[in-house]
Order: sequence, then C-alpha cells, then structure tokens
Amino acid sequence: MSKTRNQLRPFALGWLFFLGSLALLGDFVANDRPLMVRVEGELRFPVLHDYGLALGVVEPYQPVVRNWYRQKTDWAWWPLIPYSAGASDLSNSNYRSPFGAQQTGERARHYLGTDDLGRDVAAGMVAGARVALIVGLGASLLSLLLGIPLGGIAGFFGNDQLRAPRYHWWGWSLGGVAGMLYVVLSIFPFVGSNSWLINAGLVVLGFCGGGLLLRALLRWVPALRRPSNYPADTLVLQGIELFVNIPGLVLLIALLAIIDRPSIWLVVLIIGVLRWPAVARHLRAELLRIRRLPYIEAARVSGIGKWRILLRHALPNALGPVLIVASFGLGSAILLEAFLSFLGIGIPADQVTWGSLLRQSREQPTAWWMAVFPGVFLTLTVLAANVLGEE
Amino acid sequence: MYAFRRLLYLPLSLLLLSLVCFGLQLITPGDPVLQLLPPAESRLGTEDPAAYDVVYRRAAASLDYDLPLFYFSLTNAALPDTLHRILRPEERTMLRALTLNCGDWPAVARYYRELRYLAYPRQPDSLLVGQAEASPLARRLLLQDDPQDIANIVGQLAGNPRATALVEAHAGLEMGQRRGRLLLPAFRWWGLDNRYHRWLGRVLRGDFGHSYLDRRPVGHKIWAAAKWTALLNGLALLVVYLVAIPLGLLTAARAGSRFDRVMTFLLFLLFGIPSFWIATLVTNFFTTPAYGMDFFPSMGFGEIPSGADWWTVLRIRTSHLFLPVLCLAYPSWAYVSRHLRRSALHELGQAYIKTAKLKGLTGRQILWGHVLRNASFPILTLLGAMLPALLAGSVLIERIFNLPGMGQLLYNSAVGRDWPVVIALVLLNGLLTAAGLLLADLSYSLADPRVRLGSERPNPSTAG
Repeated sequence: MSKTRNQLRPFALGWLFFLGSLALLGDFVANDRPLMVRVEGELRFPVLHDYGLALGVVEPYQPVVRNWYRQKTDWAWWPLIPYSAGASDLSNSNYRSPFGAQQTGERARHYLGTDDLGRDVAAGMVAGARVALIVGLGASLLSLLLGIPLGGIAGFFGNDQLRAPRYHWWGWSLGGVAGMLYVVLSIFPFVGSNSWLINAGLVVLGFCGGGLLLRALLRWVPALRRPSNYPADTLVLQGIELFVNIPGLVLLIALLAIIDRPSIWLVVLIIGVLRWPAVARHLRAELLRIRRLPYIEAARVSGIGKWRILLRHALPNALGPVLIVASFGLGSAILLEAFLSFLGIGIPADQVTWGSLLRQSREQPTAWWMAVFPGVFLTLTVLAANVLGEE
Repeated sequence: MYAFRRLLYLPLSLLLLSLVCFGLQLITPGDPVLQLLPPAESRLGTEDPAAYDVVYRRAAASLDYDLPLFYFSLTNAALPDTLHRILRPEERTMLRALTLNCGDWPAVARYYRELRYLAYPRQPDSLLVGQAEASPLARRLLLQDDPQDIANIVGQLAGNPRATALVEAHAGLEMGQRRGRLLLPAFRWWGLDNRYHRWLGRVLRGDFGHSYLDRRPVGHKIWAAAKWTALLNGLALLVVYLVAIPLGLLTAARAGSRFDRVMTFLLFLLFGIPSFWIATLVTNFFTTPAYGMDFFPSMGFGEIPSGADWWTVLRIRTSHLFLPVLCLAYPSWAYVSRHLRRSALHELGQAYIKTAKLKGLTGRQILWGHVLRNASFPILTLLGAMLPALLAGSVLIERIFNLPGMGQLLYNSAVGRDWPVVIALVLLNGLLTAAGLLLADLSYSLADPRVRLGSERPNPSTAG
C-alpha cells in the first residue's frame, strides 16, 4: 500500500498545486471582465486594475464600464471562463446543461452548465476552490501556530526541564492573567480606542506589566524563592484532554448558527482552535523520542542553551510527522467547510462554494452537473490530502 | 489509575462545556423574553408602553433574568452592582456604554430615571402639555448609546416644559466626567442565587426547560428524535461490522496478494469520498423521478398502515432506511477493517497459529475460530471512538434524507436559535463523546493489561 501511495504522491501534490494556482489566479481564470481590452483607443487591463485599486496605487478608469458584455470594444482578451461566480445570466437561466443549448452569443459557453439564475457553475468552482483553500490552509496554519509551541514545550521539556524559582512561575502566570483582565476591564473604557491594533498592544502590555509586577512582589516571599519545575507536560496534556471531550461538529453548528454576520475567517478560527490538540499530541510524542537521542545530549553537554537546542536542533527534526498530520488536517478542514456551506451555516450566503453548489443541486435533481463537478473536486482534494497525510 | 483520572476529567469537561453553552446563550443575538411573550402582549409595546414594561418585567423574572449572571462578577468599578436589575437588554447596553464613557454612575442614573419618567408616564401625567411629543423621543433615547446622537435628540427636546429635568440631567452627564474612576476594577460576590447556578441545578435534575419554538418540553423533543437516531446508527454500526470484519480478516489472511492490494485501494478511495456527496447523488438519482430510477422513497421513515403485518413493516422500513444506513456506514468500513487487518496480521505471526496449523486445522478454521477471537478486541474498542462520530455524521445524512432524528433536530434548533434544545443536545453529545473515549481506553487496558495508559507521560524520576 505504501508503494501505491508513494506512486500517488506526485499526483496528490500536483492536484493541490493546481487548486492553489486556481485559488490564487481565480480572478484571471473566471471573470466577467476582459483581461485586456482596447476601448475607444485606450488600452485597459480591467482585472489587473482592480488589484491596483484595492492597493490604492491607481485611479479608476474613466469612463466607468459597468457591463463589459454590452460594451463596444475594438478588441478584447477574455478570461478562459468569461463569467463571475454568483453573477446571474438571465438568458441562460433555469439550469442549462453543459451539453445542451445555450444562448451565449459570441461569448464562450457555460462549460459546466448554469443554475436557476444562469450563474456559471465553472466560475463557482473556481470561487469554491479559493474558499476551500483559505479555510483549509488557514485552519491548518492556526492549528500549527497553537499546537507547535504547546506540543514543543510539553514534549521537549516534559515536567522536569524548565527550572526556575517559584516566584517566577507564579508571578508570570497569575500576574499575567490579572494584568490582561485589568486592561480589558479598566484600561479599554478609559482609553476608549476602537483600533484593533492598539487594543491588542494594550493586552500584551497588560500581560507583561502584570507578570513583571507580581514577580517582583513575590520575590520577597522566602517560601517562593525555592526553585521548582514547571509542569509544562501535565498542563498541556490536561488542556488536550479537555478539548478532546468537546463534541467538535455539534459545537461548531451551534456556534456558527447564532452568528449574525457569518464570515469565512470565523470558520477558520473555530476549526483551527478545535484542531490544535492533534498537532500538539503528535509533536509532543515525536519530541519525547528525539530528546533522548544522543545528539541532543551532546548539544546539552557542549553548553548550548536549552531553548536554542529546542528551536535549532530538536524542532526541525520533529516537524516531518507534524506536517503530515497538518496535511491530513487540511483535508478534513476543507471537508468541514463543505459540510457547513452545504448546511448553509457559517459561510456568507452570497459566497459560492463547492458545498453551496451541492446544496443547490438538491433543489433540481435533473441538474446533475451541479452535483457531480463540485463533488469530484471535493473528493479529489480530500483524497490528495489523505495520500499526503498517511499514518 | 489512568481510568480514574479520566473519570475525574469527565465532570470537569462537562462543566466547562456547560459554561461554554451558558456563555453562548448570552451572546446570542435576540431576546428570549420577547420569544416568551404571547403576541397579544407584545402588541402592547406600541399601544401602551407603560403596561408593556410591566409585562416584560414579569416575563423576564420568570426566566430568572432579574438575577446576577454568575457566582461572582469582575467589572469596572464605575459600573454599579445593580446593573443586572435593568431588565431590558437594550437599556442595559445603553447604561453600560454611557457609564463606561463618562465614569459617573450617579449622573447616568439620574438621566435614566428622568428618561423613564418621560417615556412611561403615569395616567394623569400623560395629558400634560408637551408629554405627547416628549414620550416617543424619550423612548428612542432609551435605546441610544452614542453620545453624539443623544445630544442631537436632547437638543430637539429643549424648550419642552416636561423635559426640563431631562435636559438638566443630560447636562450633568456631560459635565460630571469622573473618568478616573474607570481605572479601578471591582470584584463582587453574588452567592448561590444567580442565573447560572439555577440553570445548572435544573439541568442536573434533567429539566432542560421548554423549547422556544413550539413550547414543548425539551426532553420530549429529544426523546422522540433519539429513537430514530438510535435505530439509524445501530443499523449503521451493524452494517459496518458485517462488512468490515470479513474484509479485514480476508485481507489479513491474503496479505500482499492482488485481492489485498485491490481491496486496500478501494477502501482508501471509499474513505476519501465524502459521504454527504454520495448521499446527495443517490437522493438525486434514486429517490426522484428525474432519471427514471425512482427506486427508493425519498422522505422520512415511512408511514406504517395500522394493522400491518411484520412483513409490510419490514418492507417499508427497509426501503426507507437502506440508503441512509449505507451512506452512514461506508466511511467506517476502511477504518475498522484496517485496524482488524493490522491486529489479525499480528496474531497470524504468533506461535499458536503454527501449532494450530500443525494440528491440521484448515485456514478457515484458524481464521474465524482463533484469529478473530484474539484480534477482535481492538475493533470493540473502536466502537467507543465511532459512536460520537456517527452521531455527528448523522446531522448531514438526516438532513439529506429528511429523517426526523437528533441531527435534524440539532440543525433546526440551531438555525431557529432554540437554545434550550441546542444546549441539551450539545451537553448530551459531550457526555456521549467523553463516555465513548472512556470506554475505548478502559477496554484497551482490560484487553491487554500490559497496555499501561498512564505510562505515556514521562516519569520524571526515570526519564533523566
């Protein structure tokens, strides 16, 4: 089996690479504006220009063209799929089959058919690839961001390697939390700032201030001056066990259904937070093995600092298995996103995704193209992630 | 020892989950008190605001909304300790925002008193000059927490004989800036008579309250749905084991053969195909007349005509359950059979198999009599891990096949913001998840005493 998987690996990577480029270059693949057009003697790049507008480096074209289909042009270079996801085409409404008659005039056909309002399915697939990858990569990245530090510290230091006076641990943990609470309760209304950046900065400041203050105070207590071990491993394991008992999908549905303004980033946040225990657990197990290897011992003996050993010598060797878990997580996050948009929760209603196309297909069973194509894409993506993330 | 620790975690996790649920209920937009009010009384809101206010207070008190939220509170010292007694959520938000803006609660309280006095006039007062114009504006002010907007509306009230006190109070609000007070935090202890405590007490007694949507007791709704989900998932489990056990044993017995390779590959494919896609496809193709393949009924579990014999009942139920059970079961085939194959391969390498062969037993006898018995324990423990997954998976299957089970109930309640039902379901699921995991761990250590689950944590004295 592992041989077959190794043979499949290039295909899986290739598929994910294809999806990635589709997501990245989606605007140039499917768009209802031409990529390059000469209109009234002026050369325009409508799609590229939008990026410039978003960055604020260029001025909008004058006169503004609202509908490029009706605009008279000298010549135009249209994208491969000359339609935008979610834009209706009423002359092709009511579920046109990819192989049936379509009234597209001189424009390209709807390659993968249309839905009830004539929205192009192929353009929807491109938009869906973008959402799927944002959710998959974002959630995996977040779970790595949470899981690698926690699992790394727990696995490498265990319960007996982080040694410091007690006032250090108590000061930072209690004082830090108290400092953050104080900032949220009192400093926020006092400053009255709505800026996200300032508030985040204030919280960090509160943590450091509270931690340093309490640490300095507790230093005067003799009983707290004795050195002790920080039970990092126990704490992280307990956190993992608390998370494991939470029914993920059920909580996700309950959480997302109450949100007034659904957004993709919230889905990313919740899936990522729910998935960190898997990453932390694998990294911890790997580091438990690595920290007993002779080369770590050698590094220790030669007087390299423990944090440096962890970051430079132990972690890079432990990341392999973690990345495998993460790519498996990529598949399950994408599947979860499809799940949610199929149910119609969590993802904004006007966002076209593979799941929302599948949901639409249930309204019109004869429109097989709306059920088959998104499902094939989803399956291939999940399979690719599974191939990469073998046990 | 390990199991004992897990048992200790169970209530802790559930407590945490209950806190999460309670918190979710709080941040949900929408006011449950309004859902509680009968339509006739909510109409009072426009006709007789003063009477409506009284009705609202009574309804809020019946939901314990007049109690403090939790055992203790950690707030800004500028906020009063009586804020929870302001029952209308919009007014509470307004007061909180105003106080956190200027830090002067006495001034805010005075402003609020004058506002209410104007907004809900007593009977004889309502005939006075200027009252008719002032009341609607005052009621608008009660919902307004932006200082600029408030100043605008109060500006419109200036010169109204009834509103002089209000205008004065508003001026006091702007002058009396005691922002220094905002810098102090306050800790207040409320004791046991709080909303969370009462709610938790009711939940522990099994009383989840009534559904907001149809006023039925939550327990009844869940029980009615749980029967169907149990049937669906029980059958699915049966199908999983009926297919996966022979597959696992046969692939182990012929490990490395073409049959093994093909099966492994097929199962891997099946595992990767999302079951809700397959379910969508089969509902589109086989339960609708769209393609002339309308083999199965499309909705529900089917109506049983009264006095039907068991054969009819079986036929109707089977035709309704066949597709959903299959869709629920097939993703687990790969999982279970892979585990069984691994442990069976391990058993096949043991010495007692050689003895059995020397004794002259046939391959089939060895496989089904000896290997299965010894290799089967891991698959029983998988049950613990699979139960919660099956339950969660049935949300989609029940939606797609329109079955009135717990998944469907969860979806409908969550979308309809029917919190009592959602919370009961989340807690129930948490309990099942935790119990399943506990069961899996326990049976591992029971099956093989050498498995010391506790020893996965490094022992400081020996790790060195």
